[in-house]
Amino acid sequence: MATVQVSEAEKVYILHGVRDDLRVDGRGCEDYRHMEIETEMVSNTDGSAKVTLGHTDVLVGVKAEMGKPRPMVPGEGYLEFFVDCSANATPEFEGRGGDELGMELSNTLYKVFNNRYSVDLKSLCISPGEHCWVLYVDVLLLQCDGNLFDAISVAIKAALFNTKIPKVHISEDEEGGKEIELSDDPYDCMRLNVENVPCIVTLCKVGHRHVVDATLQEKACSVASLIISVTRKGTVTCVRKVGGGSLDPESIFEMTETGKRVGKALHAPLMQLLQEEESLGKKRQKVGFLG
Amino acid sequence: MPTDTKRVRGPEVSQSPSLFLCKTAAKKSTASNDARVDGRQRGQVDVRSVFVRCGLISQAKGSAYIEAGNTKLICCVYGPRETERKDETDMKSGRLITDMRFAPFSCRERGSWIQGSDEKDLSLMLLESLRPGVCLQKYPRSQIEVNVMVLENDGAVLAHAVTCASMALADAGIEMYDLVLGCSIRQEGATYLIDPTFLEENGCNLASGSRENLGSLTVAFLPSLNQISGLQSDGEMGEDTLTGGVRTCIEGCFKLYPVIQQALSKAVRRKAPPSES
Repeated sequence: MATVQVSEAEKVYILHGVRDDLRVDGRGCEDYRHMEIETEMVSNTDGSAKVTLGHTDVLVGVKAEMGKPRPMVPGEGYLEFFVDCSANATPEFEGRGGDELGMELSNTLYKVFNNRYSVDLKSLCISPGEHCWVLYVDVLLLQCDGNLFDAISVAIKAALFNTKIPKVHISEDEEGGKEIELSDDPYDCMRLNVENVPCIVTLCKVGHRHVVDATLQEKACSVASLIISVTRKGTVTCVRKVGGGSLDPESIFEMTETGKRVGKALHAPLMQLLQEEESLGKKRQKVGFLG
Repeated sequence: MPTDTKRVRGPEVSQSPSLFLCKTAAKKSTASNDARVDGRQRGQVDVRSVFVRCGLISQAKGSAYIEAGNTKLICCVYGPRETERKDETDMKSGRLITDMRFAPFSCRERGSWIQGSDEKDLSLMLLESLRPGVCLQKYPRSQIEVNVMVLENDGAVLAHAVTCASMALADAGIEMYDLVLGCSIRQEGATYLIDPTFLEENGCNLASGSRENLGSLTVAFLPSLNQISGLQSDGEMGEDTLTGGVRTCIEGCFKLYPVIQQALSKAVRRKAPPSES
């Protein structure tokens, strides 16, 4: 992970600030940094989104491909996650340097989506046991400035919202042979229901309190953080302790409570924003990568 | 995997027998409501009885074996030795390296010898659970290697790996703040299954229908410091269910604690028998 060196004096300054609910950049303990979301960034994908959170920059592309359903669940499609830590973000990621972090992030994403409510996988089925849609969710880290998990989860939600899967029809001839027909109209496509896609909230334990959306400096002052993925309704789909330290059971309970509250509050404005952007259609102002 | 050309292959539409295994298990378990397949009760802190022993591998600095039901793990600790990576900026404290692997025959279907991404993830979870328990600052410029091999996977592998690894670390004489104990539960609706077996873990016992609060939780706990060093959950659970689950896991860890302590003191006594004076 990209790390920064923080001196003892700086640490004390950050710790005392957090104790008084005032962080270095003026935020409170449960505030996010300024977040920017733009969808439909890459034309070759079926859905894409870029999220900028402070100086953290994440690009997510979703590609739908036809595949064979898993034998255990013949009537469902599935999602595949891959996180690439580009050497653009930090020179530490060069070569195989980013592999470990990428693995950790993608494995966490599998856990976050490992339940039957997040995405309606049945809608991804084309014909049970034979064909289904496989959504390849590829995450590219462009800049790292702390709080990767939250930025990635928001970007995935936005990209899945943006995903358009072409509609296919299955026709059967007399001998029972099946044929898959792709619709001629490129606008005839299926949208995913992303209402229940969870968002991840990372809580960093700094001193006796915990902060949401920690910067790299704040992260350097904390021994352990807890990541919690929360759905719109407030159910928790994944919890994970990351970092080298340990936590008191009581503070874990407090952190889950905060995580749930913050996560729940994150969903409504996010959905509203995505729908607004969608309704603008072609009139939407494109920012791109230079914004 | 190379296929055997001399063998008569099944028809193309054939399916793996393991698919049907779950279905029969589901039928069995629905017969009685409260009892689990192995006779334990649902919703009770009823961990599988464990067999533990230290110091079974003479070459390693420390080693431990744990057996809980059919879950069997072996762990070896090597080191502290000089660190291989010289580019580390933080040389003041030692490095802990964990490696967790499943033997190819450990699961129902044969796995490969190459470490998969889930094994790497388990290794990382193991590392994060163990690190708070080890006094790494006492071992500057050195590394301690922890290798866990799963011989037989019958559920709750990570939890037992944590327990086994901390025992092996203690057996190796590595200075620690506390033992690290692991416990996991499977939440099914309002009830839970502590220390689940492989079939229970993979939801094979679930009758049908969409039940709320379905998920798994693993906790690593430092009993005498009362600290949680590892926490991982998936599935979907309400916040209060999760809180309850963590409490249950802690209770489960305390059930394990005396057994592990006894095994460790036995190992120490064997290594250095008390003098007769």
